[in-house]
Order: sequence, then C-alpha cells, then structure tokens
Amino acid sequence: MATMLEARGISKCFGGLKAVDSVDMGIEDGSIFGIIGPNGAGKTTFFNVCSGVYKPTSGSILFAGRDITGLPPESIARLGMARTFQNIKLFKYMTVLENVKIGFHIRTSTGVASAILHSRRYREDEDLAAEKGLDILTQVGLAGYKDTLASNLPYGLQRMVEIARALALDPKILLLDEPAAGMNPSETRDLSAFIKKLNARGYTIAVIEHDMKFVMGTCDRILVLNFGKKICEGSPEFVRNDAEVNEAYFGKGMRDGIAAGAGAAGGV
Amino acid sequence: MTGASEDSGRARLSKPLKIALCALGAAVLLALPAICPQSYTMGVMCRILMYVLLAGSLNVINGYSGQFNIGHAGFYCIGAYCEAILATRLGLSFWIALPLAGLAAMIVGFIVALPTLRLRGTYLAIVTLGASEIIRLVALNWEGLTGGPDGIKGIPAPMLGGFKISRSGDYYYIFLALAALFFFVTARVIGSRVGRAWLSIREDESAARSLGVETSRYKAANFMYGAFWAGIAGAAFAPYFKYISSDMFSLDEGFNILSMVIIGGQGTLVGPVVGAVIVNFLTEVLRPVSQYRLVAYAILIIVMMWVRPQGLVGASNSILAERKLGRRRRGAARAADREASCGGAK
Amino acid sequence: MDYYLSQLINGICQGSIYALMAIGFSVVFGVVGLVTFTHGEVIMIGAFAAFYAFQLVGNNLLIGIVASFAASALIGVFVYKVCYERFLDAPEYISLICTIGVSMLLKSLAQIVFGPNNKPMLDVVPNRFYGWDTVGLTLIQIIVIATVAVLSILLYLFLNRTRWGIMLRAVSQDRKAAALVGIDVKHTILAGNCIGCGLGGVAGMLLAIYYQTLVATMGGAAGMKAFAAAVLGGLSDVPCAAFGGFFLGVIENLGITFTSASFRDIFAFVFLLIVLLIKPEGFAHKKGARV
Repeated sequence: MATMLEARGISKCFGGLKAVDSVDMGIEDGSIFGIIGPNGAGKTTFFNVCSGVYKPTSGSILFAGRDITGLPPESIARLGMARTFQNIKLFKYMTVLENVKIGFHIRTSTGVASAILHSRRYREDEDLAAEKGLDILTQVGLAGYKDTLASNLPYGLQRMVEIARALALDPKILLLDEPAAGMNPSETRDLSAFIKKLNARGYTIAVIEHDMKFVMGTCDRILVLNFGKKICEGSPEFVRNDAEVNEAYFGKGMRDGIAAGAGAAGGV
Repeated sequence: MTGASEDSGRARLSKPLKIALCALGAAVLLALPAICPQSYTMGVMCRILMYVLLAGSLNVINGYSGQFNIGHAGFYCIGAYCEAILATRLGLSFWIALPLAGLAAMIVGFIVALPTLRLRGTYLAIVTLGASEIIRLVALNWEGLTGGPDGIKGIPAPMLGGFKISRSGDYYYIFLALAALFFFVTARVIGSRVGRAWLSIREDESAARSLGVETSRYKAANFMYGAFWAGIAGAAFAPYFKYISSDMFSLDEGFNILSMVIIGGQGTLVGPVVGAVIVNFLTEVLRPVSQYRLVAYAILIIVMMWVRPQGLVGASNSILAERKLGRRRRGAARAADREASCGGAK
Repeated sequence: MDYYLSQLINGICQGSIYALMAIGFSVVFGVVGLVTFTHGEVIMIGAFAAFYAFQLVGNNLLIGIVASFAASALIGVFVYKVCYERFLDAPEYISLICTIGVSMLLKSLAQIVFGPNNKPMLDVVPNRFYGWDTVGLTLIQIIVIATVAVLSILLYLFLNRTRWGIMLRAVSQDRKAAALVGIDVKHTILAGNCIGCGLGGVAGMLLAIYYQTLVATMGGAAGMKAFAAAVLGGLSDVPCAAFGGFFLGVIENLGITFTSASFRDIFAFVFLLIVLLIKPEGFAHKKGARV
C-alpha cells in the first residue's frame, strides 16, 4: 500500500525547547492512524508541522510522495490535506452552511472579474458550493442546522461542522486534532463509527486523541509520543502492551483505559 | 434545540418591501437636483457622495478583510493628483483620466500592501499611516510634477459631448453614477468566492489558510480594490474642486474618512453610507462652530468604541463586534474543555 | 567638515529629545501593552504646561520640568480611563481607535484653548555658546542633554531599585503572574502610563525650548517620531528606544544637510518603514509584530 503521509526525522524547536524530536511516521493510504501521548507530548505541534502551520527545524514531510516540507498551509491544503483544530476554529459568526461553503475555496476559481460579471464560472461555483455544501451537511446529519450561527451550536456539533468543512476540500487525508474532546461516551462512540464510515469511503484519517477507548477502538495503527519523541508505533495490541508506553502514562488510570479499550475493540 | 433558520440578529425586511424602498430611494436621489437645486444643497450632496465612495472603499479593506488601514487619504491623494496632472499637463479627457487615476491608486495600493502582509494589526496600521504621509510629503515637495505647495490649479471640467459639466447639480449625477457603480460592483464581489475569502481572513486567518485560502494574495487584492475606488473618488473630485493641494490629503483627512467608517459601521454596505451622511451632516450643523467639529467626531468615535465597536449599522455578526477577547466559548464548552483535559486518561 | 560635525552635535542633541519621547512611549507600551496615538498630544501638553509655568513664575527650568511632567501625567490618567481601563482584555484595535479619538480630541481642544498659532518660547535658557568657531555646544543643548540624562538615570533607578519599579516591570512582563503574586495590576498600569506620559511631557518642554517655539499641532510629528524611535527596541525595550531616538536624531540632521530642511519629517517615516519591513519585532525580541 502506498504511503499517504510520511514524516522523516521531524524536529521542531521553539527557542531552547525541543517540542518535537526526530519523529518518523508513516501513514498508509486508506488507514486510520492515531497519535497519542500525554499532555505536552508534542502531538499538536507535530500536526502543525505536517499541515504547514510550522516549518520544521529539521526533517522532511512527504505527502502522497511529494515533499511538502516548508510549504505554507494553503498550498498543502490545496494538495489535499484538510485538518481540524484542537480548540475548534470555526468562523463563529457565520452560519453552518457559510462555514462549509468556504471549504470549497480550493474547488472553485471565481475571481473579481467573474464575480462582477456574474459569469458562468461564478454561477457554477456558487451552485457547487451551495449544493455540495448541503450534501456534506446532510451526510454529517447537520442539514437542519444549515442557517444556524456556528457559535450557537453545542460543542459536539461544532466539532462535526468543523469536520464537515474539512470534508468540503475533498481531501486525500483528514487530520483531526482531538475530535472527541468534550464528548460524552455515547457521542464518542458515534464519532468513532462516523470516522470508520468516512474511512470506508476512502478517506485516510489521522487522529490525535486522549480518549484511549476511542483510539484503541478506531485506529489501525498508533504512534505514541512523549516529550516530543516517538516511543512506540504499531497496532493497538502492540502499543497496549509496550512497557515504555505504560510507563509514560503514570498511574492506573492509563492501564484501566487500555484494558477497557481492549475489551471494547475486540482485536484490531 | 436550535433547528431550522435562525435569525442572525438582523431585522429582515421582506423582499418586495426592500425593492420598493430601493426604488423610492433611487427616485428621490435622481430627482434631487430638480427638487433642491440650490448650489449649497447640491454641494453638500456631492461631498456626501464623495465620502460615500471614500468611506465605502475603506470599509472594504477594514470591514471586510479585517485589515487595519488608517492611511486611506494617500490613495485618495494619488487619484486626485493623477487626474489633475493628466488633465492639465497632457490634456486628457476626464473620462480617460478617471480610470487611469484609479489604476494608479490601485498600483500604489499594491505597493503599500506588500510589506504589510506579514505584519500584525497595529503595525500594519502604522505602516499605512506612514505610507499616507510619505505620499502627501512627496506631493508637497515634488514641485516639478505636483506643483509643490502651490498644488495644481485650473483643473478642466469634464465634457460630455460638447456639454461642459460645471454646476454642482451636474456633477451630482456623475458622482451618483460612480457611487451606484461602486455599490453594484462591490456587492457582487462580496457575495462571491472572493468576498467569502476576505471574510474568512477577517474572522480567522489561520483557519482560512488551512482551508486553502491564499491569504496574502487576497489581502493584497483587497487593498488594491479599496485603493482603486479611493483613487476614483479623488479623480472624480479633482475637477469639481478645480484646485488641489497636498494639505487636502493630510492624516486628518484620513482620520475623517476613518471616523465615517467607525461611526457608521464596518463590514456592511450601508455602514459607510450612514457614516458619511452623519459626519457630513454634523459638519454642516457645526459650521458656525467649526473648531468643535473634530471634537464632535472624536467623542463619537470614542463613544462608538465603548458601546458598539462595529459601528451603528456595522456587521454585528462578525469579529468586529467582539468587545472581549476570548469570549469565544460559552460556559458549556469551557466545562467540556476542562473535562477533556482531566478525563482523557481514565 | 566643521559643518557636518556641528550637524552631528545637533543630531545628538535633538536625538536626546527623541530618546526621551521614545523612552516615555516604550514605558507606556511596556506596561499597558497597547500602542497609543496619544503620545504626540501628551508631548504637546507638556510643552504648553511649561510655557504657562514660565509665564507665571519666570524662567525656572525645574518648575518647567515639574509642570510639564505633572500636566502630562494628568492627561495620562484621562487617556487611561478612556482608552485602556475597559479594554485591557479587548481586541487591540478598539483601544487603538480610542487613542486616535483622544488624540483628535486633545489636538482640537488645544487649538481652541491655546489658539492655532505658534507661540514663541524665548530666553528660557540664556543664549551662550561653548566651543570653537562653529563647532561646539550651546547652553540650550547642554541643558537638554543633561535633562534627558538625569531623567533616564532616575527612570533606571526607579525601574530597577524601587518596589514600584519592580511591580511595573512585573506587570509589563506577565500580567497574570503579577496579579497572582498580589500586585494591583490596574493601578500599576495607570502609574506606568502616567510616568511614560510625564516623561513625554518633559520632552515636549525640551522641544519647545530647543526650537524656541511651540504650537498646538506639534503633536503629530512628535508622536510619529517617538513611535519610530521606539520601534527599534520592539516598542517595549527602554534602552533600545533611547538608542533609537539618538539614531533618529542623527540621521534626521545629517539627512537634511544632504537634501533639504523640508524633508525633515520624511526621515522618521522612512526610518520607521525600514525597521518595520526588516525587523518589525525590533531588536530586543519582546512583544512581536508578526502574525
């Protein structure tokens, strides 16, 4: 299987602090990949390097075989990488549909001239954004909220809107940063099912998550970071039993979580 | 549970009512020179229309893309001087000089935009201020081109097929047409992919970039668009004033235009119109005590920032209306956050 | 050669006034955390306060310093109440526009109260010259440089050796942490703002004495120069701002010898734009200018 997203020796320093330290990662096309680690392990920073928000201090990123190291986020998005953010970056004063419509920017091309003249390109672009936007919302189950102001939605639904907006890019890979944060167990189960459904439709997905049950039950492969370094990578089984991983998460809370996850996942 | 259409806080007029009001407004505007032909009234209306263009174009920059431009007088200056020079030195017709002047202002807009693309809000504002002053000082000192402190006199009036436009009442129609054109064009651009890109930059630039919006390109284009129309305003008014000099384009004038946008409203099409009307109305009302004019504007600006930062009829559903940083999440979400960070490893 | 040397001396002297203006600005920015457009008007108020003090009690320099400092510090209270107090946690541009409003207000009121014309400020300091031929220092220049030096030393001692000064520096570095250790953040910000404004006021007095004239509209150019000089230090670093002031004064004076006097103000803008284009965060790496 082809490698969709590959990180080679990625390091990111902020002044004296090494937030990410020589991390290698390979995400296979069509898989669901999880990134876990204690708070402050550098997961979001790593995502930020992958999506172009940060330039890596050293190392390289390859996306679908192409070196994208140092490219700005808008170029990487254009190449087919979409992401959501840890603290939800929705356009809170726009409606849900307006948020999703902006996701179609890459797939449309109306410029100032076409806009002024209401040319055919303009009309086609507007139709595309409106129709496909509504489609995505319907698939995600949010069609009823299309005219609701984004900030008026409950947190869990806001996350879904952010995912819907990311889907509007028709991406090759979806990077989700803590999508289950703030969700109760039943919502988390729904999210896991939703992600698997998306994956079945062909999207490669990378997820940062804290919720062990979720990660063990959803992901094909998992990368574990601690203090910016990779300490383990493999199937959920493999990661679950790794001594260093267990050590990284102090306290029985982690072990219970892994045990519970093993019960729920029933082998991956 | 919120379901279908949500009223986003704006009073929604029904479509037929809207059309009727617009038609009425248009009829009044067109008939105005016949109803009130006094040159004083026409003069005020002409000034209001000029400021509608200036404030409107500034609003496209500040209100729609969220960039902080306080040096709009510079683009206005370029447009006016360009038309004046082309008309007096090269004898070009007004109708040719007008778009050329707009183009010149647009190019200057691009030049000013370039360095600001990496700068944050306040620093961007200072650069625009500096650029505006440099433009004015160049106009003041480049005697050969701009007449230096003497300015340019005797700017020829536009000719419309043998008919010389000379009365305020005649100029009024030109300005009205330009303002109408500005609104028509701007409304179309704002309602398109381009406008959406601008709005996304205003609301959350890093989210916009992650969605593929080429923010640098769109910010520059936005500046150029605003500069173009400011140049058009300057060029259209040069023959009306008949004489221009650099002190007409000082920082004070820039603040004048800014206050119209602040008071009237940012991020909506009507905001700058309301602002232009209010500020010019105040100017006329305060004529007997004109030294207090700026005092009045200053107080209005401060009050507006205290009470309604987006302006009287500005975009209430936008980041412009935010008065507290980080009033992002409601209580429920914040609690969920806390839960997420503590309860992850259970 | 002599001419350039004397222009250099002029530059250093002028630069010291700019340094004081910039120091005041960076104290304000450091403590409040917001850029202000009012510094120019604060400088102007100080000049007028000194002017009227001299008219009332005669040409006593010390009284002038006290009057200008006090008047500008008082205006600082007004600026704080209107522009900063409510907006410490608000989007930056709101307070910035408020300061634009206050600056417009002060300038217009000044023109109404003091009249729009230049007022002469003569013979505050007797016209004496120390030097050879054309190269040397006038007594005015010596007094100006001395005043700036003394005030700078006092500021340094205040910021580094007194409890109040340490509180100010704490608030300028991390407001939340300062609050957590029991510092009254709001009053410290008020105090810092007033001190910065007061220093600006004294700079205004020095400007008036040096040019022997003052006018209600002098704030605009002065404020821009204060900002241009302070930008060099990232807006909050005091010594860097002082250096910026000297540097600006020198290039301004040398610049007009090569071009013409009417270009004087352009140098500040060009200098400002160059710094903002090359290193907008300044050379002291504190509050950044980049996105």
